[in-house]
Amino acid sequence: TSRGTTTDFDGNFTLSDLEEGNEIVFSYLGFAPQQVTYTGQQTLDISLSPDTAQLEEVVLIGYGSQRRQDATGAVEQISSEQFNRGAIVSPEQLIAGKSAGVRITPSSGEPGGGGEIRIRGGSSLSANNSPLIVVDGIPLDQGGVQGVRNQLNAINPNEIKDFVVLKDASATAIYGSRASNGVILITTKTGTKSTPLSFEYDLQASISQVTDRVDVLNAEQFRDLIESEPGTDPALLGDASTDWQDEIYQTSVGAIHNLTVSQGFENFTYRVNYNNTSQTGVLRTDTYERNALNLALNQDLFDGDLKLSLTAKGSIDRNKFANQDAIGAAVNFDPTQPVYDENSRYDGFYEWSDANGVALQQATRNPVALLMQRDNGGRTQRIISNFNVDYRIPLIEGLRFNMNAGIDYADNEGRNFSPISSATVLQSIPAEENYWGYNRNTLLDFFFNYKPYIESLSTAVDLTVGHSYQEFYTTDQQEFTDQNVEGFWILNNRNIDRNALESYFARASFDIDDRFLLSGSIRRDGSSRFSEDNRWSIFPAVAVGWKLNNENFLRDSEVISELKLRAGYGVTGNQEIGSNYGYIGLYSPSIQGARYQIGNNFYRTLRPEEYDRNLRWEELESYNAGLDFGLFNNLVSGTVDAYYRTTDGLLATVPVPAGANLSDQLLTNVGETMSRGLEVSLNGNIFNRENFSWNMNYNISFQELEITNLSLGENPNFFIPQGGISGGVGNTIQLWRKGLDPTTFFVFRQVYDSNNEPIEGAYVDVNGDNTITEEDRVPYKKASPDFFMGFTNTLNYKNLDLSFTFRGSFGGYMYNNTQSSTGFRSAGTVTPQPYYSNFSSNVLETDFQNNQFFSDYYVQSADFVRLDNVNIGYLFPGEKVDFRTSLTAQNLFTITDYEGLDPEISGGIDNNFYPRPRTFVLGLNIIF
Amino acid sequence: DDLDLTPEDYRETPEDIFQDPDAYKEFLSKLYAGLAVSGQEGPAGDPDLIGLDEGFSQYLRLYWMLQELPTEEAVIGWNDEGLPNLHAQNWTSGNPFIRTMYSRIMYQVALTNEFLRQSGEESISGFSEAEQATIREFRAEARFLRALSYYHALDMYGNPPFVSEEDIVGAFLPEQIQRQELFNWIESELLAIENEMVPARGNEYGRADRGAVWMLLAKLYLNAEVYTGTERYSDVVTYTNNIINANYSLVDDYEYLFLADNDENGAQNEIIFPIRYHGINTATYGGLTYVIHAAVGGDMNPAEFGVNSGWGGLRTTPQFVNQFPNGAESEDERAMFHTEGQSLEINNISSFSNGYAVTKYKNVDVDGNQGSDATGEMVDTDFPMFRLGDVYLMYAEAVVRGGGGDMSQAVSYVNELRERAYGGSGNNISASDLTPDFILSERARELFWEAHRRTDLIRFGQFSDRGIWAWKGGVPQGTTTGAYRDLFPIPSSDIGVNTNLEQNPGY
Repeated sequence: TSRGTTTDFDGNFTLSDLEEGNEIVFSYLGFAPQQVTYTGQQTLDISLSPDTAQLEEVVLIGYGSQRRQDATGAVEQISSEQFNRGAIVSPEQLIAGKSAGVRITPSSGEPGGGGEIRIRGGSSLSANNSPLIVVDGIPLDQGGVQGVRNQLNAINPNEIKDFVVLKDASATAIYGSRASNGVILITTKTGTKSTPLSFEYDLQASISQVTDRVDVLNAEQFRDLIESEPGTDPALLGDASTDWQDEIYQTSVGAIHNLTVSQGFENFTYRVNYNNTSQTGVLRTDTYERNALNLALNQDLFDGDLKLSLTAKGSIDRNKFANQDAIGAAVNFDPTQPVYDENSRYDGFYEWSDANGVALQQATRNPVALLMQRDNGGRTQRIISNFNVDYRIPLIEGLRFNMNAGIDYADNEGRNFSPISSATVLQSIPAEENYWGYNRNTLLDFFFNYKPYIESLSTAVDLTVGHSYQEFYTTDQQEFTDQNVEGFWILNNRNIDRNALESYFARASFDIDDRFLLSGSIRRDGSSRFSEDNRWSIFPAVAVGWKLNNENFLRDSEVISELKLRAGYGVTGNQEIGSNYGYIGLYSPSIQGARYQIGNNFYRTLRPEEYDRNLRWEELESYNAGLDFGLFNNLVSGTVDAYYRTTDGLLATVPVPAGANLSDQLLTNVGETMSRGLEVSLNGNIFNRENFSWNMNYNISFQELEITNLSLGENPNFFIPQGGISGGVGNTIQLWRKGLDPTTFFVFRQVYDSNNEPIEGAYVDVNGDNTITEEDRVPYKKASPDFFMGFTNTLNYKNLDLSFTFRGSFGGYMYNNTQSSTGFRSAGTVTPQPYYSNFSSNVLETDFQNNQFFSDYYVQSADFVRLDNVNIGYLFPGEKVDFRTSLTAQNLFTITDYEGLDPEISGGIDNNFYPRPRTFVLGLNIIF
Repeated sequence: DDLDLTPEDYRETPEDIFQDPDAYKEFLSKLYAGLAVSGQEGPAGDPDLIGLDEGFSQYLRLYWMLQELPTEEAVIGWNDEGLPNLHAQNWTSGNPFIRTMYSRIMYQVALTNEFLRQSGEESISGFSEAEQATIREFRAEARFLRALSYYHALDMYGNPPFVSEEDIVGAFLPEQIQRQELFNWIESELLAIENEMVPARGNEYGRADRGAVWMLLAKLYLNAEVYTGTERYSDVVTYTNNIINANYSLVDDYEYLFLADNDENGAQNEIIFPIRYHGINTATYGGLTYVIHAAVGGDMNPAEFGVNSGWGGLRTTPQFVNQFPNGAESEDERAMFHTEGQSLEINNISSFSNGYAVTKYKNVDVDGNQGSDATGEMVDTDFPMFRLGDVYLMYAEAVVRGGGGDMSQAVSYVNELRERAYGGSGNNISASDLTPDFILSERARELFWEAHRRTDLIRFGQFSDRGIWAWKGGVPQGTTTGAYRDLFPIPSSDIGVNTNLEQNPGY
C-alpha cells in the first residue's frame, strides 16, 4: 500500500502512522525524486536537487537521439502534458495548435475521421504532402491503409508519450526520400523501472451536436420561389414542411475507456493498455468502434549492455459508414415533401416517382432513405509491432549497435448492402458488395552509433552509420452483385501493389566545448518507383549551432539563461506518388461491361496506361536559421525559425497536353516552387508558485508558397487547372501558374450594382475586348492562409486545473461551392425529370437565374479564430487511489465572417462538408 | 534486384503481354471500344480519362451532342453547365462538352498511336506468317480509326494538335496542325491503307473494312470545300460508287436500323461501320444509352423503348418536324415523333412537353423485346455511324454539285430511300426536284439524329450566319450567329497547357 500528502506553501508537511522501515518518496516536477527510509525521525529536512536527466532532456532525432540543447535543426518535442485533452480519437488532434509551422486541419465531423497534417505547408503539389510518421521506429506507409477513416487511429492517443516534429531539412534529411514534408516521430509509453504494480482507468464520455446548418430555403420560401418562376408546375410541390438537415443529423454519443497495467522491475518493465472507443456520428447511421491492446516490454540483459524492447499495438476498427451522399441530398431535397409516404414502395420513404410509383432516376434521393437503406460496414484488424535490439558493444567504449525489425499489418474486410426496396437499386436483386484486402509494411533497419569524447579538443563526437530496407505490399479485391450474370456475382480482378525502399545513411555530430555544434548527415535512397536510371539519389544535410549562453560574456547573465543560434541546409526528397509503376507503360484488361463485340464474340480489351518513363524524385532544398532563447531562468523561453525552400522536379498529377500521353492526366515532374516562412513560438511561466501556476504558449507561423516554374510550358500564360468543383463537368476553380500560390482561385471579377448586389453575368472585361470570355478569368486570392496561430493557457490552482487552446488562421479564402452550385433559380427548377430541388438561401440575395460558377462572388474570406478546446479538471488525491475528474468542451465556438458551414476545410472548396460538431466530454481517471 | 518491381496482378508490361499474338486483338478491341465506352469497367469505374464524368464524356455521346444539339434537329432541356449553350450557339472556349469531346478525340489518337508503336515489324517478327498478316490488318484498322478521329477533329476543331506514333509518350507539347495540312494528312493516310484493309464486307462485323475507308474518304471529299476551299466532288462520286458496288443493301424497314437487334435484323447489310453496344457487355451511360433514355419523357412509356426510365431531355424543333410534309402526321415512315402531351412549339426549352419527342432509337428488337440488360438500364442498339442510305444521298449531292456521275442514277438512289420511307413509289422525285435545298432537306429526313447535321448545315452554309430555327442564338424565334461558329473553339484548358496552340478565329 502507498499513501501520500502534499506540502503547504512553505513546504511543510505531516505524515502520520508511519512504521519503521517505510519508504518515503519526495518528488517535485523538475527535480530528482528522493527516497528516505523512515527510522523514527520526528522531522525530516529534505532538499531536492534538479533532475539532470530532465534538464538534459533527450529528444529523438531519427536513428538516434540527442540532448535538446544540442539540437541544430528545427526540432520540437511535444509531450503528453502539453496535449489537447478531451475525447480524442485520432492522435494528430493531440497537438493541434501546439507547434509553430505545423497546421493540423481537423477532420470533418465523421467519427474516427483523420485530420490533415501539414508541416511548413507541404512542399509538393499533388504528390503526398503529409509528413512521414514514424511510430516507435517504424515509418508508416504514407499511402495509408485501406478500410479505415484515419490510419493513425491505430495508435491509441492515451498511450502516446510524446511527439517530436522534425521540421527542417537538416533534421529530416536522415529520412531522405520521404522527408520533404517533415517527419513526426511518435513514441508510446513504456513501463518505468522499479515501480510498483499500478492500475489506471480512464474514461472520456462525450456528446456532440452539429451547431450549424447549410442555409437553405424552408418549405414556405421554397414554395414561393417555385411559384414565382415561370414555366414551373407548382402541382409537383408537397404540403409538408421538412427540414432535411434536421432529419439526417443526430446528437452523437461516445465513450473512450482505457485500462492500463504497468510495473517495473530492476531489469524488466511492462505496460499493457486496453482501449475501447465507440462513437456514433452526428450523421445518422455513422459509427466507429475501436478495440485495441497495446503492449510494451523492455528487458535489460548483461548489466544493461543489451536492451531488448518489444512494442505491439493491436487494434480492431469497426466502422459503419453512413452514406455521405445524404449530406448533399439534404441540402437539395424539396422541403415541401415528407420523409415518409405510406404509399411508397421504397420501405415507406417518400421518393420522387412517376405515375406508377417508380422512382424518377434523375431525381434527388430521399436523404433519410439514403442513410437508412444502406448498410455499409467494415472491419480492419491491424498490428504494428517492432522488436528493437540495442547493444552496447563491450570492447569499444561508446559503441552501440541498434536494430529494428518491424511490421505493420492491416487486414480489412467489409460489406456494402442496399435492398431492392431502395430507390438507388435498379436491379431486381439487392445491390451488395463485399471487399477485402490487406496492407503489409515490413522493416529491417540497423545502425552503429559511436560516441567518443575527444579530450584534447574538448569535443563530443556522435557518429551513426546504418542501413534500412522497407517493403510495402497491398492487395485488395471486391465482388458485387449483378442480376445479368449467372450466379449473380461478379468478382473483380485482385489488385496487388508492391514497392520497396533501400537506404544507406550516416550522420556525424560534434559538440565542441559545449559551445559550437556541427552536424552533417547523408542518406542514399533507392526506390522501386523509378526506373533504374532515376532510382538512386543522395540526400545530404549540414547544420551548425552556437550556444551563446555558454560563452563567457553570457555565462553569468541574470537575464539570459539560454541562447542558441542555429543554421542548417539540406536536401530531401519525395517519392510518395501513389502509383508504384508510373515509369512503366502497363496494359490493363477490361472487366465486366467493357468488352467489345467483334463478329459474334465479345473481346475483353487491353488498355495501355499513361506513364512517364523519366519519372524521378521530387527534390527539396531547404535553408533554415533559428534562435532558441530562455530568459530569467527560462521563465520566458522561445524559438524563432526562418526558412527558405525550393522544390525541384515537383511531382504532380496534371492535365497533360491533349494527345501527348495515354490519358488526360499524368503523374510527372512539372516544375519548381519556392516557399518561405517564419515561425515564432513563445512560452511563458507567468506564475510558478507551489499552489498556483500559469503557463502560456503562443505560436505563430507565416507561410508563403509560390510556383516559380512549370516546366511543361515556357509561355507565361501557361497554367494547369486545379480544384474540381461541383457543377458542370470537370469544372475547376483554381490554377497553378508561375508566380502564384498553388491554391489560387481562378475567377471572373464580379460587377456589382449601386446597392452592392452582384449583377448576374456581369464581369470585368479584363482584357478589354468587349466580350467576356475565358480570357477574362483571372487569379484571385488563395485558399492557404498567410499566417496562423495557436494560443494555449494552462492554469493550476492546488488540485484544480484549467486549460484552453485557441487557434486562428488569417489570409485564406474559401470557394463557397454550396452557394455556387445551388444558389441560382434554374438550379432547382430546370431538372431533367418532373421534380424540383432546394436552393442555398443565397439565391434570395443574388436572385441569379443561371449558374455563375466562376464568379469571385463565391470566393469568401475564411479567416477564423476558434476556441478549440477548454478543459477543467480536479484531482482528488486519495490515500490509495488518485481520482481525477474533468470536463472538456471541444470546438466550442468559431469567430468568422465566412458564410458557409465551416471556414476550415482543406483545399479551400466548401461542398457537402460533413459538419464538425461541438463536443462536451466528461472525463474520469482513477489510478490505484 | 529488390527494387526492380513490376506488377504481380492482372496488369502486364508490353514486353510480357505482346508475347501472345492474341493480345493484339484485345488491344484492337480497345481502339474500337474507345468510341463506344469510357473505360475498362462498364458503365463506369475505371475511366480512360481521369478528370471527367464517364457518362458525360463518352465519345459517341459527345459527338452526337455536338453534331445534333446546335442544329434544328435537337434541343435538350437540362441545365448542366455549358449544355444550354450548345443549342443557343453561344458557347465559349471553356465549354465542358466542347472540351471533353476534344479530349476524347485526342485520347483516341493517342491509343491508336500506341497500337502502331507496339505492332511494328520488329515487334511481330517472332510470330507466324499468318499471325503477322493478321496483325498487319489490325494496323491498317488502327490507322483508319486514327484517321476517323482526326477527321472529327478536322470537322469540329479545324486546327487540333497533331501527334503520331513517331512521338514519344510523355508530357511534351504537341504542335498544332493547320486544317489544310490535316486534310492532306488524313487523305494520304486513307489512301495508303486502302489496299491494306480487308475488302469491303469481308471483315468480321464491327471491324472496319475497305468500305469504311471509302466512306471516310467520300465524307472528306464531300466537305473538302469547307475544309480546304477546294471542291472535290468528283472524288466523292468515285468513292461512293466503290461502296455502292460493294454489295451493301438497304434494309427493308427503315425502323430496323435503330433497334436493339440492328446487328442481325438485316440492318447490318446496310451498315458500313457501326459502333457496337450490348447491354451487359458493352455498357455506358453515354452512347445510345444516353440518346434513348434522354429522348423519353412526359407520358411516353419507357418500356416501349426497352428502357426502365426516361431522362426527359431531348426533343426537336418545329423547323425539323416541318421538314416532313404534314409534319408529324406525314406518311413518310421516317417521321418518328411522339406528339401526345407535347407541343410543336418550344416556349420553354427546359420543359420536356415543349417540342415533339423523337422516337427513332429503341432498345427493343423487331418483335418488341427489350435488349439484353434485364434492368432496362443499358442498351443493345448499335449506332450506325456509316450506312448505305447516307452514301446514296452523298452520291446524289456530288452529282448535283457537278462532281460528274449519273443524274438518273442519283435520282434513282434517292427514290430507293423514299420508296422505303413511303412504302411505295408514290412520292418519288424526278431529276428537276433534285436541288441542293432538296438534298439538305432529304438528308434531315433520312439521317436525323445520326450525328451528321452540323456538318451538313455547314456545308450548305446554313449553320451559323444563315439558317434560323427555334432557340438558335438563345432566343425563342431563333436568330443567326457568327460565321466563326462553324468551328468549335480549341478548349481554353488545352491552350493553357499547350502553349503551341493558337485559338480559332472569333473565340
